[in-house]
Amino acid sequence: MRKAFPIILSLTGAMLLLIACGKKQAPSEGTGATGTSTKLVVAVMPKLKGIDYFNAVERGAREAAQELGSIDLTYDGPTEGKVDQQIPFIESWTLQKVDVIAVACNDPDAISPALKRARDKGVHVITYDADANAEKSGREFFVNQATFEDIGRALVDEMASQAGEDAKVAIVSSSPTAPNQNAWIAVMKRYMAEKYPKMQIVTIQYPEEDQGRAFSMTQDILKTYPDVKGVFGLSSVAFPGAADAVRQAGKSGKIAVVGLSTPKSMKEFVKDGTVKTVILWNPVDLGYLTVYVAKAVAEGKLKPGDTEVEAGRLGKVKVEGDQVLLGPPMKFTAENIDQYDF
Amino acid sequence: MTSERVSPTRLALWRQYGREMSVGVFLVLLLGYFGTTPGFLRADNLRDILINAAPLVIAASGMTMVIIAGMIDISAGSALAVCAVIAGFTARSGASLPLVILLPMLTGAVIGAVNGWLVAFVRIPAIIVTLGMMSVLRGGIIWWTRGEWIGNLPPSFSAVGRGEIAGIPLPVLIALSVVLAVALLLARTPLGRHIYAAGGNPVAAARMGIPVRRVLWLVFTLHGVLLGLSALVYASRFSVIQSNAGAGFELLAISAVVVGGVNIFGGQGTVWGSAIGGLLLQVISTGLIFRRVSEYWAPSVQGALVLLAVVADALRTRRARR
Repeated sequence: MRKAFPIILSLTGAMLLLIACGKKQAPSEGTGATGTSTKLVVAVMPKLKGIDYFNAVERGAREAAQELGSIDLTYDGPTEGKVDQQIPFIESWTLQKVDVIAVACNDPDAISPALKRARDKGVHVITYDADANAEKSGREFFVNQATFEDIGRALVDEMASQAGEDAKVAIVSSSPTAPNQNAWIAVMKRYMAEKYPKMQIVTIQYPEEDQGRAFSMTQDILKTYPDVKGVFGLSSVAFPGAADAVRQAGKSGKIAVVGLSTPKSMKEFVKDGTVKTVILWNPVDLGYLTVYVAKAVAEGKLKPGDTEVEAGRLGKVKVEGDQVLLGPPMKFTAENIDQYDF
Repeated sequence: MTSERVSPTRLALWRQYGREMSVGVFLVLLLGYFGTTPGFLRADNLRDILINAAPLVIAASGMTMVIIAGMIDISAGSALAVCAVIAGFTARSGASLPLVILLPMLTGAVIGAVNGWLVAFVRIPAIIVTLGMMSVLRGGIIWWTRGEWIGNLPPSFSAVGRGEIAGIPLPVLIALSVVLAVALLLARTPLGRHIYAAGGNPVAAARMGIPVRRVLWLVFTLHGVLLGLSALVYASRFSVIQSNAGAGFELLAISAVVVGGVNIFGGQGTVWGSAIGGLLLQVISTGLIFRRVSEYWAPSVQGALVLLAVVADALRTRRARR
């Protein structure tokens, strides 16, 4: 044991060093806010930096800032999707008195006090992609990329057009407690009953976040329910897993696979015809709209009670309550999927 | 201590294989039960079950050695992800097939060797070492791949997970060879006897002159190699490799081993039991879907089985002591 002690000590030291390095991720002083007073300082934070999805958001945000001209845009955030790493950015931006903070929140409740303090100091706060607790944070608007309603309907409509309005279908979801997936499933069931009463869900499987399970469960579904005409893949894990199983069973084109994921991860399956359509919103447009909304809020052009907001190339965008709606989700197909790199 | 640990008499051997036999009987009963649903016992379904169980059985074989040696490894799922991603990157870079096969196994060996070194020579409890390793690997892989999946894999890579020899799927052949090799190692070699001794009674083993620490280190390293192989078989079945693959895989592997009758405190059990345990878990997972049982129940059923196995083991041990 005596021999082990110095090693443990040095390990602990190394750990502390790592933690200290990690702290450096906190924002450097003076970014963005020192611009001229005529420009509107907008600070946009992703859930985490460096992944394709938020790189696309950044691209849209920069596009909008350039178009508008009078925006001084700061785009920064943590390298991990953790709320405790987001808070230092907000505190720093609050001290720097930026005009607007726009955040994609990693946790709706934990981030709210920091946002509230920013509001109290006169900084405008909006959220996008993932909302904060509206009451506790005092955020003014949430730029909602897609409502559960829109996504659920788009999925069912797409399935009906590919597999037929009377198709028997199966759902491969995420975990049984995943809030988004469950909300989508609820909409899908209701919408099916309304519009395609002959469509029938034969089973819902929950592979958690495991590709292998999504794959083998889809295999089992195809064998247990030989008359299934379509499979929904409701997560970025379930969708490729289900598509892979259908492809390897030699049923590409015979069984429709419809779902939600990023186009990049599904490109292979779209190219070989196993998947005809990938449904998702466009994150470039989400970043673009977020900056337009930030400006409108800061200039008092978007107030509670408004029903629409002007957003450059997106035209007039619908506002419902305190949510700005990006609109119906986008469909990625073999024709357009190569244009997107997220 | 009981007499069976001191001298592996015929009675003790019978007792050991009795466990595997009872798990085997359970498996047959389950197959009979699920077999009443149409299509379950068809050749193509049984074949899929075997293929899907292969990565688990391979990993469980390594885990068997670890657990018999009185250790545990909960970083197995993360290590699987790291090895799978390395396999994917190597394959995509156009490297030759031997390299694609060796590199993930080498990676696994390095991870296992580090785990083993910390456990055996720095003498930190295995659960703490591998808990740390789990987070380090999981975080590292996300940082490295930035969450991206690895696609565009060459056909030669897929051949590993989807190929077959004489009509038998390659993953099944690999799994079978691994189980056979580990069984021979455990039953017929000095190292195997040392592993049992180290797990059964490390103090006595050390007094008998067995290099317990080196044995433990070796066990973790071998287990790492097998994890690399498991990752290769796992990853090459798919068209894209998920960078966060293998979430919860370590629990599956440990479950397979424990259900297979290996004593969680070490010293007893065989790899045959673990292999049957792995098959059992896959049969349950598939069978519940065929039986149209709500998937909500699957984790509970799996958990209940593990508890059942451990309780049965505890009762057996207590009876043996009397």
